[in-house]
Amino acid sequence: MEQTAAFEDDRLKQALTRSVKGDAHAFAELVREHQGMVFSIAYHFLQDRSLAEDLAQEVFLELFQTLDRIQSPAHLMYWLRRVTANRCIDHGRKKHRRREMALEEAPEPVSASEHADPMLLERLQQSLATLPEKQRLVVIMRFQEGLGPAEIAEVLEMPVNTVKSTLHRSLADLRKGLTRKIREVRYAFF
Amino acid sequence: MHFSEDDLREALKRKDPGEGFTQRLMARVEQAKAEGNMRSAKKANGKFLSWWMHRPVWAAAMVAVLLLACGIGGYQYSEYRHAEENRIARAKQQQLQQEAERARDQAIMALEIARAKMNHVLQHARLQAEPDDKIRRQRL
Repeated sequence: MEQTAAFEDDRLKQALTRSVKGDAHAFAELVREHQGMVFSIAYHFLQDRSLAEDLAQEVFLELFQTLDRIQSPAHLMYWLRRVTANRCIDHGRKKHRRREMALEEAPEPVSASEHADPMLLERLQQSLATLPEKQRLVVIMRFQEGLGPAEIAEVLEMPVNTVKSTLHRSLADLRKGLTRKIREVRYAFF
Repeated sequence: MHFSEDDLREALKRKDPGEGFTQRLMARVEQAKAEGNMRSAKKANGKFLSWWMHRPVWAAAMVAVLLLACGIGGYQYSEYRHAEENRIARAKQQQLQQEAERARDQAIMALEIARAKMNHVLQHARLQAEPDDKIRRQRL
């Protein structure tokens, strides 16, 4: 397992070195490696596939222009998360429609695994779309990327305690939002 | 409705951007590369021109220095060419003079040899003629 991780790290290091020297194939390899992460952060934040793809492409274009500043695969991951988060926030500032978006408009249906309740996952995504930008990003970094509070603090340039409190508040807001939604459904039926 | 952290993880599972994402991106990268090259070339030209445009005294001084340098260089080159031509002409003249002297020496030597041979023949002729003269004188 450790051997595989070391091999993977070595492969990415080589791809990074070759990319810095201008090897387009190596850069494409780096893109393939990280496109899922960048696209998913953007997608979960924006809840729009085409906007998320545009944003992800912008992030990788910026990466191509600043490749010589990237020192290691770990630095690359950190850089990608940070730039994606910043671009998401910039996008949110440009278009204020995210906060006012109705729950019904929000996300595409979730492709759930066998164990999860697809309706619950869909509701979770819808509720996430209504959270304020910073809260949304903290939740995405915590539960999509699996980062700890200290790592999230570094990526989003926030104090660790603020990250912890934001995370706590976000989960509470998500629960509240879900409960409200269920009540609305009940009132509609009865 | 309650949810666990695993539910949230499941809802926020990484998604694939779909087929062709890398190709589309690489096409944009190539385009950006080409635009970047053009922009940097234009920028370099523009910078160079604007530097000179904002410093007319410097530009005039630079042109004067260039003209002066060209003039001095041209004069020195023509002087060098002239000196070289003179040197070649002198060398040729010297060579011709040497050849003429050599020919004169050879001609003198040939004449001296011819004179020596003629003297030798004359002496022989005199010796052969002498006894007849004595006999002729005795008869008289």
